[in-house]
Amino acid sequence: MMEQRQNHCKGCMESVQISSEKLERLVEIATRGRESVPDEEYARRMEQCQQCPGLQYGTTCRYCGCLIAVRARLQDSVCPFPLVPKWDSSAAI
Amino acid sequence: MIKMHINTQQTHGTISRYLYGQFAEHLGRCIYEGIWVGEDSPIPNTEGYRNDVLKALQNLNIPVLRWPGGCFADEYHWMDGIGPKSKRARMINNHWGGVEENNHFGTHEFLRLCELLQTEPYISGNVGSGTVREMQQWVEYMTLDGESPMAGLRKENGREEPWKLPFFGVGNENWGCGGNMRPEYYADLYRHYSTYVRNYGGNRIYKIACGPNTADYHWTEVLMREAAGLMDGLSLHYYTLPTGDWSGSKGSATEYGVDAWFSTMKNTLYMEELIVKHSKIMDKYDPEGRVGLIIDEWGGWYDVEPGTNPGFLYQQNTLRDALIAGINLNIFHNYSQRVKMANIAQVVNVLQAMVLTEGDQMLLTPTYHVFHMYKVHQDAELLNVSFDSPMYKHGAEMIPQINMSASVDANGAIHLSVCNLHHAESASIRCLLEGAEGKQVTGTILAHSSLNAHNTFQQPNEVVPVTFTGAKLEEGELIVELPPASVVVLELK
Repeated sequence: MMEQRQNHCKGCMESVQISSEKLERLVEIATRGRESVPDEEYARRMEQCQQCPGLQYGTTCRYCGCLIAVRARLQDSVCPFPLVPKWDSSAAI
Repeated sequence: MIKMHINTQQTHGTISRYLYGQFAEHLGRCIYEGIWVGEDSPIPNTEGYRNDVLKALQNLNIPVLRWPGGCFADEYHWMDGIGPKSKRARMINNHWGGVEENNHFGTHEFLRLCELLQTEPYISGNVGSGTVREMQQWVEYMTLDGESPMAGLRKENGREEPWKLPFFGVGNENWGCGGNMRPEYYADLYRHYSTYVRNYGGNRIYKIACGPNTADYHWTEVLMREAAGLMDGLSLHYYTLPTGDWSGSKGSATEYGVDAWFSTMKNTLYMEELIVKHSKIMDKYDPEGRVGLIIDEWGGWYDVEPGTNPGFLYQQNTLRDALIAGINLNIFHNYSQRVKMANIAQVVNVLQAMVLTEGDQMLLTPTYHVFHMYKVHQDAELLNVSFDSPMYKHGAEMIPQINMSASVDANGAIHLSVCNLHHAESASIRCLLEGAEGKQVTGTILAHSSLNAHNTFQQPNEVVPVTFTGAKLEEGELIVELPPASVVVLELK
């Protein structure tokens, strides 16, 4: 049958640190063909994410593993902060 | 019509419950956020472990849990993860691009998790960057009942009684992230390190050597030749990739068509060839079958979900994963004379996970449901099933359409787990049950009209098991009409 070799282990393949060029590409891929929020709402969400204790590596939400630049851009996204979503304008940051 | 025969009076050994093992790795959101949120989290928790995940996993009857890696194991220094959390060392997990590890989930937290899940611990020791002394002391710390520096340290840290530690891996993927070793070198290191993995008091450790990467038969040959007498188990790692391509795209977890469905089924079945060929080598050095083949990493592996951090290896889990789980478990059952343990990777939020979390929400995956449906096989006696499967043809390739296993449990109930791999065609089965009266058949099915159906936080019950009505008994024979792309578990009493 097939001769398949897996020459890599998990740890050799990916990093959690993302260059700005790669981040730009990942955002473009993830948001392709999906409805976005207006720039003002995107900026509001991103500002809240930047102040959130769940932000990791400057790019990533610890509660969903998402790149915040993607999650905040998409119309159908919700903030995954446990119990008290932070994008709700009435919620405290 | 597929004609099948099962002699219910002839059994072929026990299907070890350890084939239903899980793997928790310090990777992405598996441990932190997935299992451990800490005592101060707003997410409902017990001693820091999130309640929803605990409850879901308790319902699976998990027999064994492997930890802390994976690749993480060979960077892990256990002393960083004991004592007051505020004083624990913060480290950089180099395997994961410099992720900061605060060591809040360490030895005590893992072994307490095992207690809460009523599961047995399987610890991966550090050969890649750790020392013999470090490994010896870790085992002493956990298991020595009496006076010693390590037992004293354990007591200082709040644990008077030693834990039982039944399984210990001497290194992980030492052909790769665990040191890029040649088998000849690792075999000597295994002999060296394993000598100091001692049995203290009444604790008896089943020692597992790092085995081959997929089809590296030379590795198995060397390890068995040089060290079989010093090991209880030899591990094997094999992941199912739809594309089979490690350097390019592995394929999407959710966006796929029939081509990727078929290749995934075919690549999953490759597990059987691996088991047969590695077992043949093991038979040469261990004809009694004393050394277990331990498949301590397996499952589907895809490209990460778009928009998630690539280093977290977060993927969705669809009906296709249900088939991967069902097929692999059937294969493990059928080769349970040599395969003694398997640990799917990974339990929460990473590769083929049982549950996914997002903030305070959690969902059960199709893979979870298969493990729940199949748990009736744990420690049951294997039955041989004779049948010629029709072939599932796709382009120029073909694979068997039906994959299954059967067992009889301690109460005499017979269970059949049957996977129909075909994406579009149903299958009719007529099964003669020799030696059983078979008065009643009941069943559960996991299937969906969409091949890429999956559960989301908005629709967590899109793919769930339902009562199966396609089986009946007719003049002592079992008649089954199996829908396409389905996993069915039947019970005969």
